Amino acid sequence: MSAVGTPTRRLEGRDKVVGATRYTADLDVGGLLHVQLVLSHLASARIRSIETSAARSVPGVVDVVVAGDLPEQDVAGPDQPLATQRVFYAGQPVAAVIATSEAAAHDGAAAVEVDLEETDAVADAVAAMQDSSPVVLDVQEEADEGDASMHGAAAGNESEPVERPRNVSAVASAKRGDAGAAMAASGVTVKATYSVAAVHHTAMEPHVSTVRPEPGGGLTVWSPTQGPFALRDELAEKLDIPAHKIRVVPMPVGGGFGGKVSLLEGLLALLAIRGNRPLRLVLTRRQVFAFAKGAPAARFEIEIGAKKDGTLTALRAKFSYDNGASAGWHGGISSAFLAGTYRWPAVDITGYEVSTNKTPVDAYRAPGAPQTYFALESAMDELAQKLDIDPIELRLRNAVREGDIDGQGAKWPRVAFIECLEEARNHPLYTAPLGAGEAVGIAAGSWGGARTPSAAGCRVEPDGTLSILIGTPDVSGATTGLAMIAADAFGYPVEKVRIETGETGVAPYGAVAAGSQTTYSLGGAVHEAAVEARRQLLEIATEQLEAAPEDLEIVDGRVAVRGVPERFVEITELVTLSTQFMGTFRPVQASGRSAVQTASPQFTVHIARVKADPETGAFALTGYAAIQDVGRAINPPEVEGQVHGGVAQSVGRALGEQLVYDAEGQLKTGSLLDYEVPTVDQLPGIDVRMIEVPSPVGPLGAKGVGEPPAVPGAAAVANAVSRATGVRVRDLPIDRSRLVIPS
Amino acid sequence: MKPAPFDYDDPRSVDEAIGLLARYGDECKVLAGGQSLVPLMNFRLARPGRLVDINGIESLGQVKVENGRLLLGAMVRHAQVERSNDIAARWPLLHDAIVWVGHSQIRNRGTVGGSVAHADPAAELPCALAALDAKFHVLSRRGPRVLRWDQIFVSEFTTSLAPDELLTAIEVPPQDPSTGVAFVEFARRHGDFALGGAAVSITLARNGTCSDVAVALLSAGPRPVRAEEAERRLKGGQVDEAAIKQASAAAVQGLHPTSDLHGSREYRVKLLQVMTERALTKAVHLATRRAA
Ligand SMILES: Cc1cc2nc3c(=O)[nH]c(=O)nc-3n(C[C@H](O)[C@H](O)[C@H](O)COP(=O)(O)OP(=O)(O)OC[C@H]3O[C@@H](n4cnc5c(N)ncnc54)[C@H](O)[C@@H]3O)c2cc1C
Repeated sequence: MSAVGTPTRRLEGRDKVVGATRYTADLDVGGLLHVQLVLSHLASARIRSIETSAARSVPGVVDVVVAGDLPEQDVAGPDQPLATQRVFYAGQPVAAVIATSEAAAHDGAAAVEVDLEETDAVADAVAAMQDSSPVVLDVQEEADEGDASMHGAAAGNESEPVERPRNVSAVASAKRGDAGAAMAASGVTVKATYSVAAVHHTAMEPHVSTVRPEPGGGLTVWSPTQGPFALRDELAEKLDIPAHKIRVVPMPVGGGFGGKVSLLEGLLALLAIRGNRPLRLVLTRRQVFAFAKGAPAARFEIEIGAKKDGTLTALRAKFSYDNGASAGWHGGISSAFLAGTYRWPAVDITGYEVSTNKTPVDAYRAPGAPQTYFALESAMDELAQKLDIDPIELRLRNAVREGDIDGQGAKWPRVAFIECLEEARNHPLYTAPLGAGEAVGIAAGSWGGARTPSAAGCRVEPDGTLSILIGTPDVSGATTGLAMIAADAFGYPVEKVRIETGETGVAPYGAVAAGSQTTYSLGGAVHEAAVEARRQLLEIATEQLEAAPEDLEIVDGRVAVRGVPERFVEITELVTLSTQFMGTFRPVQASGRSAVQTASPQFTVHIARVKADPETGAFALTGYAAIQDVGRAINPPEVEGQVHGGVAQSVGRALGEQLVYDAEGQLKTGSLLDYEVPTVDQLPGIDVRMIEVPSPVGPLGAKGVGEPPAVPGAAAVANAVSRATGVRVRDLPIDRSRLVIPS
Repeated sequence: MKPAPFDYDDPRSVDEAIGLLARYGDECKVLAGGQSLVPLMNFRLARPGRLVDINGIESLGQVKVENGRLLLGAMVRHAQVERSNDIAARWPLLHDAIVWVGHSQIRNRGTVGGSVAHADPAAELPCALAALDAKFHVLSRRGPRVLRWDQIFVSEFTTSLAPDELLTAIEVPPQDPSTGVAFVEFARRHGDFALGGAAVSITLARNGTCSDVAVALLSAGPRPVRAEEAERRLKGGQVDEAAIKQASAAAVQGLHPTSDLHGSREYRVKLLQVMTERALTKAVHLATRRAA
């Protein structure tokens, strides 16, 4: 029986559930010292002085380090490991305290006196674009679309118009046809402004890392990083150490979602080298919110038009991303989604990357997509209401199909947007009658998907089990799917396969676990490695059994001659023969490689049912369904799990998650008391419907699945709430008071 | 998440505890369930030099009924109140209020004395105790005091307890078995601090008129609020839908709950009115059944 497609428990799941998994903070390292950071309390200031003598005299404190103590770094101000001269956001590290215990490090950090001279801050992206605004970044950084591509976003063009507003680092744009004329000729138009709050990954495990300097100038880094090789290469470049001298040991990831590629490691490495001691830093939850980069807020002014029959005519959009004290890179992604989801004859899109005095932003699961699709799918819902057309029908009439123009002016490959919409139209949550105060909302979303050349290794252990060696950590349960692929390729049950994620010194090269690419990029390499290992094993058996390899099969831990079950050799015996002292057979040591050539874009449609309380503005989700094209579900419950988590995250953006800053750039939601992660009682059962339109290039037809479910949830809920209350939601999270108190 | 260094005492008797309080005064803090104090210390928003941990004082952990009055020792955990059948039957408002407190982990550790001494205007227990006209037993080396709710609760996170005083017990008067009660609140997520809520206790005469009523509001001001105007309007009259609506509107007259991130003043007032209406409706429904 084939493992692929058969529901299989996560290989690493049990250990996580019973608390046996050893995370980075659990790791004992001899001679370890502890680091605590002192973060800037102001959002924009010049550093007058940092007084460290009191901290140095705290019992247990070994060293107190400020920027001047470290070698100069060639990076922008906000990205300095410790702030030099200026701070650009509240939460920026200004000093590090090293001590013999975590508690002493905290005591020391509390005793560091940072004297700041406050300078004007701007915390609002719209205000930051005014000529009167303070300039946030010293040097106008250019947005780096390389970041976008790592997460598999299909970025549009970030072009270079002559004049940019203040604090804008890049402008994204897309134009097709004459949008002005097309809009004017439209029978119906919707024009509105939508805003999406900044949110945070809020992974259960805070950011943590341990770095040990090694004799000979190398480093060992234990980190729950999503990308060990990316982290290694980044450190090598920053520290000017050859990459092979840096060993990144990938630790179990206690939640990544784009937020755990690198953050602390550069600074820790500098500190560890300076003191020649192994160091560990664990952020507190408050520090995670203040210092670890979350997802940017965005604001979209959108106008869309249609003929009376619902055929779309034009889209015009002006949008901006609030990137905090960073240049940002989400604009091109938004532009591509806006232009490429429906068959617009004409589009005119301009998007700004704006910097403000807030914590820098970075990737969060499907970066840019939840923001963009909230705006786009809300506008589509408003249009459907104006046209008095069923919202799924409106989308079906205009959804892109194979051969249509995508967001970058190329052609869509075979995508399954239509199939998802058809499934939604017939879903019982959509068709069942509505109760009092109840309404149903739908929204679509998509994701391009990343791919990175990857390799895998395979060997057979003395007990006959199979080890697959990879270099990509498991952030999603993907290793179970990879084990299933290997099991089928080798001819084993999945119980006999394990996945080992090795440190960068020995592991085969692997993709960053991001961009919905792990299975997509690694699946082929694992498959090839397992096939090759089988070939090598059978080659040894050939001599033992005096039969041609094509006449051999693997059954019950043995290699046997097909049709002659009594002629067999135990696989354990073959391992012994090929590993023993004075042996004459070469050991099974296979490798596989893959480089998937093109992306397999994924579409999804979510259905949300809500019941609203007309007196308080409260609403409850009474039902939820997520329909998604997954290409092929390697491990169906794992796909469902990914969808459940993604739904919770995208619905969380509607229910209450938000990073709120005051006008001075102070974070007001810096703890889990005020930052509202959705609770389990707020979420209904989620019905996952997998559409399987196989990818022509993905392993066994698989497409990426991790990111799409995090995309349309907020829009689906907002559309349902808007329909239930008659008050159109245009801002996330949903302000309950607006639903009952007219503004 | 490490608190600043502090000294620690672990007294075994009330006498020992008040001795320590007398000696160290405002240098020290009483540690009860720690569900409010310890987070504040871990955030280093509170840095007491010394903790007097009263978890080891057994006598403070008892639930007693004397002359029909309920006596809750200060160290009685929220969960003990929640699980007591006797309290659910005879002081149901306490039971109805306590289940709104945080999550079960919090209720397992958190204490009734801690809830009172912490004096959070969004805390359910002080609000319910205000509706029940509870009394608060306080002890120090200087002697005992017994305070009414409007004497102990002063303002946000502020009571009239002196630094050397220990809250030892909460006394709740007996309740007429025909009384109908309700505790309702509005919070963003279950376990979050309420944006508004109401505790109602109402007794109806045989002819259906209101013979006694208490309405206390949660998160309505710097301390629990008794809606006296609403109570006055309800007393002696028929409690129909119109009367409930009028009383609820009266209850929120002149209230100034503070606007914050989670709700504007206007929204909070609206919620308080709706919660009062719902609590009254529910309590009247129960009282009608009991009176019949
Ligand atoms: C996640 C979370 C959610 C919560 N949600 C709610 C909620 O919804 N509603 C709610 O009401 N509460 C909530 N709480 C607070 C919880 O109820 C606390 O337990 C309670 O407020 C304080 O009780 P404690 O026993 O933990 O007191 P502690 O934290 O130990 O002490 C609190 C204060 O009271 C003083 N104190 C304690 N006992 C005495 C005494 N006998 N005499 C004099 N002073 C004393 C202490 O010195 C301290 O200043 C929540 C807490 C958490 C962590």
